[in-house]
Amino acid sequence: MSYATRSRFPTRPKTHLLTWLLVSAASASLPTQVQAQDLPLSGHVRVQQDDQQPNTTLTTPVPTGYSTVQTELRAASHGASAVVTLQQRQQGTATQSRAWVNELYATHDGGAWQVSAGKRVVSWDVGYGFRPNDMVQQEQRLSLASSTLEGRPLLMAEHFSADAAWSLVWVNPTGAAQNSADREPAWAARVYQQHGALDWYGFARVGAHSGASMGAATTWVATDALAVHGSVRVLNHSATQVVLGGSWTAANQLGVLLEAWRDGTTQQGHHRLLRISWAFEGWSPRLDVLHTPADSGRVVTAALAWQGDRVNVQGALRAFGGPPGAAVMQSPVRRQATVALTWAF
Amino acid sequence: MNPLPMPIQRCSSFAAGLLLLLTSAAHAQPDASNLLKAADKFRMTAANLQVQTQINVSNADGTPDKERRYTVFAQAGRKSLVLMQSPAEKGQKVLMLGDDFWLLMPASQRPLRITPMQKLLGDASTGDIATLSWADDYAGQLVGEEPCDDAGQTAASCWHVSLHATAKGVTYRRIELWLGKTRHQPVRADLYVLSNKLAKKARFVTDQPATPTMVTEMVLTDQVSNHKTTRVRYLSRKERVVPPEWLNPMFLVRNPPLD
Repeated sequence: MSYATRSRFPTRPKTHLLTWLLVSAASASLPTQVQAQDLPLSGHVRVQQDDQQPNTTLTTPVPTGYSTVQTELRAASHGASAVVTLQQRQQGTATQSRAWVNELYATHDGGAWQVSAGKRVVSWDVGYGFRPNDMVQQEQRLSLASSTLEGRPLLMAEHFSADAAWSLVWVNPTGAAQNSADREPAWAARVYQQHGALDWYGFARVGAHSGASMGAATTWVATDALAVHGSVRVLNHSATQVVLGGSWTAANQLGVLLEAWRDGTTQQGHHRLLRISWAFEGWSPRLDVLHTPADSGRVVTAALAWQGDRVNVQGALRAFGGPPGAAVMQSPVRRQATVALTWAF
Repeated sequence: MNPLPMPIQRCSSFAAGLLLLLTSAAHAQPDASNLLKAADKFRMTAANLQVQTQINVSNADGTPDKERRYTVFAQAGRKSLVLMQSPAEKGQKVLMLGDDFWLLMPASQRPLRITPMQKLLGDASTGDIATLSWADDYAGQLVGEEPCDDAGQTAASCWHVSLHATAKGVTYRRIELWLGKTRHQPVRADLYVLSNKLAKKARFVTDQPATPTMVTEMVLTDQVSNHKTTRVRYLSRKERVVPPEWLNPMFLVRNPPLD
């Protein structure tokens, strides 16, 4: 979901970030009071600084830097769950305050049967850089800093056994038929079967505007160190999306992920993703290289994260490169940098 | 030579046989698989358990590093579900069904298949926390009677059992285990990874040293990289059989209440 489409509180240009930080800290102190009333509350406070170098070949206005203070609150009780985000962003001298509901839904817990209604995050499929069968959430992949997704309005029925499951979802039930694929009313279904080292998935979706599509996916733990995954989706019998990948982890926790995909709905077509990561003593450095062979475009991301008891620090740098005609070079920014400090409660 | 009268000869043979029998009984060595089953009961006190676990990691110089809390549902048939309870990991889960593992992240909403190598992440790996038995995963061979103390400074002697993995997804390929001679409680262990490198040394603390009934703490000392010490404390245990859908990764990604 784009930042601009979130529901908003009135803008408060005179409010300073420090005030918001105090409000966030105050909300973080709520748990002990609220837990006493049997309402578990958790969440985090995040302070983030983003800087961007605009693409000067385009006229699109892009902010060069902004600071964000954000509080995420999670609560669940008596079959109802909610995730709410409060945010204040400062760009130059202007400050903007916003709030949105990531999730708010009720669930009927019938043991193996689960029925839920409301706004909820439902993510499907097995890929890392590309998930063609993410038929409900349809989230954007490879974001610079991890963030909690914003759910979709839906009605969902699910059944679970020890090694199988199925889900039937009516997503965006009140949306207009002419909406884009992520906003149109649609029915989506998924079946799942676990068989030893193999997970199998089948998918189907019928959208009011986009029509019918079907897909299948699998993950297979081939060896002690290697896991392989693949996913395919056929849309309206005309376009096909395929992703194939594998991840290998060494005993010293060095990890290599290779993924390639072909998206028949876009001009770039083929993509390749290489991720090298490591985990040691709470530190997690990572290097991502996304390459589009058709136009020689590339996106390189270097990231470093540290996880403590309650504090998480992450920083990332991203650069877009390639010939001027490459699709990634049409991005409104050429370089991005972000640093975030998160305190969990 | 004056042979003994026949009755005395018979009496003498009987006594010799009895002596041999008694000597053999005194030196009879227990069966390794029975030893393992007995040792398992000190951590896995019932076939299906809910265990509240806390780990405290200390640096090599003794300064505290971090603390984590977990709820572990250890079920019969090599099935375990680990719920991370600390703020830094709140909502994360690891599901272990035999040799198959999934990681479930609260913000991801999709289960991640993880390899046995990925399961080793962390100072106390998920296997250290979730696995409470040896008999199902290892074949044991009795090495003999040895001092319980690593340095051989105490007089107490233990049974030394060498364990070799029979399941492919286990955290440690080989374990050298020392068990109490009388009650067969775990005393200490050397834990070896796939490359046959000594990864950690474990020491087990029991509730009543003289008459132990359960292991209350496992102290792991890293032998490879950081030489940190991890104390795995079993805060509480209660018998619990979880519903079958709780062991389905697709159910767990829905973040259902698991109380």
